[in-house]
Amino acid sequence: MMLELLPQQLANGLALGSTYALVALGLTLIFGVLLIPNFAHGEFYMLGAFVTYALVATGLNFWLAMATAVVLVVLIGWIVDRVVFQPVAAAPGHDSGGHGSGLSLMISALAGSIILQQLATIIWGTEARTIPAPMTGMVRTSLFTITYLQITIIATLAVAWTAVWLVLHRSRLGLAIRATSQNRDAALLMGISMTRVRLATFAIGAALGAVAGALLGATFPIYPSMGVNPVLKAFVVLVIGGIGSLPGAIVGGLVLGMVEVMVAGYGSSQFQDIGTFLILVAVLLIRPQGLFGRAQVER
Amino acid sequence: MVNLRPSLATCLILGLGILPMIGGGAKAADEIVIGEIHPITGPATFYGLPESRGVQLAAEHINKAGGVKVGGKEYQIRIATEDDQASPTVGVAALRKLVSADVRFIIGPLASGVAPALKPIVERNDKLTQLIDGTIAENMTNGKNIFRNQATVGGYNVAVAELFKAKKYPSVAMMTDRFHAGFMNSQKDLAGNLKELGVSIASEDYYKLGDTDFSAALTNLRGRNAEVLLIRGYPAEGALITKQARQLGFTGQVVWEMVSPPSTVLKNITAAEMEGVYNCIPPTTEDYVKLGDEKAIALDKAYRAKHNEGPGELTALSHDAVYIFKAAFEKAGSLDNAAVNKAMAALMVSDIPELVTRYTPQPDGRLFAADGQVDLRGEVSVWRGEAWEPARLTD
Repeated sequence: MMLELLPQQLANGLALGSTYALVALGLTLIFGVLLIPNFAHGEFYMLGAFVTYALVATGLNFWLAMATAVVLVVLIGWIVDRVVFQPVAAAPGHDSGGHGSGLSLMISALAGSIILQQLATIIWGTEARTIPAPMTGMVRTSLFTITYLQITIIATLAVAWTAVWLVLHRSRLGLAIRATSQNRDAALLMGISMTRVRLATFAIGAALGAVAGALLGATFPIYPSMGVNPVLKAFVVLVIGGIGSLPGAIVGGLVLGMVEVMVAGYGSSQFQDIGTFLILVAVLLIRPQGLFGRAQVER
Repeated sequence: MVNLRPSLATCLILGLGILPMIGGGAKAADEIVIGEIHPITGPATFYGLPESRGVQLAAEHINKAGGVKVGGKEYQIRIATEDDQASPTVGVAALRKLVSADVRFIIGPLASGVAPALKPIVERNDKLTQLIDGTIAENMTNGKNIFRNQATVGGYNVAVAELFKAKKYPSVAMMTDRFHAGFMNSQKDLAGNLKELGVSIASEDYYKLGDTDFSAALTNLRGRNAEVLLIRGYPAEGALITKQARQLGFTGQVVWEMVSPPSTVLKNITAAEMEGVYNCIPPTTEDYVKLGDEKAIALDKAYRAKHNEGPGELTALSHDAVYIFKAAFEKAGSLDNAAVNKAMAALMVSDIPELVTRYTPQPDGRLFAADGQVDLRGEVSVWRGEAWEPARLTD
């Protein structure tokens, strides 16, 4: 009987894993290029959801609301970088490339995250709500059922990955971003504008967070602290997939989603989180650089 | 002359300082301060704020009608509000703040996590009397200085059992919020009661506040052929589980066991998706209004006039709590805690005609049982259109 349900559980895992991967995509980009452990990424996700919710409530079409939310969250992302991260990076004692120490950046990110959460609480309150779904209905087969919205999320993940890949591999801006991520000092010596790289990286990262928030807010309840759990899961995804790796974020998200569903489906839902962190520990022990990460050699 | 100036200034400063204290002291002597601890901010605001407003409203009405008469003297009630944010740590700090301000009568808290944190502090302090109007967790009262006018989770479960008995459901899958002390502690008893009714327990799953994906557990429901999905917890998760269960093809009956204001429910699920869902909790303010209860209608009207929106589901309980204290003060003829506690334990339901909630009197007519708990039983309501309404189980 339980094996009969396997196709449905696999579909559940794919749908859940896609949500993790979508959130992790923006986070891995900012972490990989700028070495910022951006805990405020959860708040980009939350703001994407709330701005979309507020605009849909005024009668705006969902997709237009989502596009507007993306623009607003990109602006907020730039402000967060300018106010929260750049002063830390520019502080005495940090390296010439304008990168702060990991600890000070992490603390700044947490501060930014808390400030954004509090602002959202003041504006929207703490009560949970859901964005009216832009589409209803589902595909029912003899083996599994999946909603149109879940299919849209999976498709958006594929489109987002393709778009980011094209920007990174088929444009001069992408070349600059990749060069910075590989060797910041060499990129600076080659005349690459760090400001441009920074703005572009934050814009893409925040936009991905906003898209994830808008789409997942039509599926899950939204509230000011909604970004905390997904961003923690996204960090787990980064460790599994390899920090800074886009394919790693996608595969890591899908692996995590599948494992959680299988543990809950064939074990107990009470062990779901334990399963997540067991995988984390296993990856750290067996392949510390993650599935798609490159081993770092200290010289 | 030179030396006199500082003395005059000192006298003036002291005089100016003492005068308001004398005035305040005289005023304070005619006041009874009741502290209320509810989540005014934080994740449970939608429960806590309407409770706090219910307390304020009752105090205003009592004061306008002449106040409280204790030993031939009239007192006005003053409410001291503290926000516990539904957090045990903040709740304990709130209680300590009230105690340090010499507040000796407390209404609240709401959250099942806060009440156990306050209990040992209140029990050890013979200058405190607490009336709980929120949490449903078991064993929170002592009948000495802690009383409760809210149902226990056992009272909720009575309605669940009635529903299963009336509808003769053969099987149930239970999904319970594992951090809700009240629901978790009563899970075994409820499962036992349902088994006695011949109901097969297909599964018992657990989730936590803030979870968003329940697909794995709900997929298993299909394999277990449960007739009923019983969800015990809070409305945001209740709505999400209901939606995901339907999406995964569950066609059986969904039953909720949770206080769930329609405004909150409708922010998370459409009215169409809620149609026909049962809920098993004691009647709420809105239920009494729908039943045409005059006192509930008056409360509803006064609340809407003041706050421009309807009362919350627990507002009536908080409103009742102030009237219960008033009756206890008057019966005791004293503001001494020991006398008030004794009077509270001896209160008859008939002593408090202002009560909106219909408590079942104890066999001797008293409001509270020996353990300080009222008898308030859950009833079954059903979602129709945009809100809950009392269900007729014989249909």
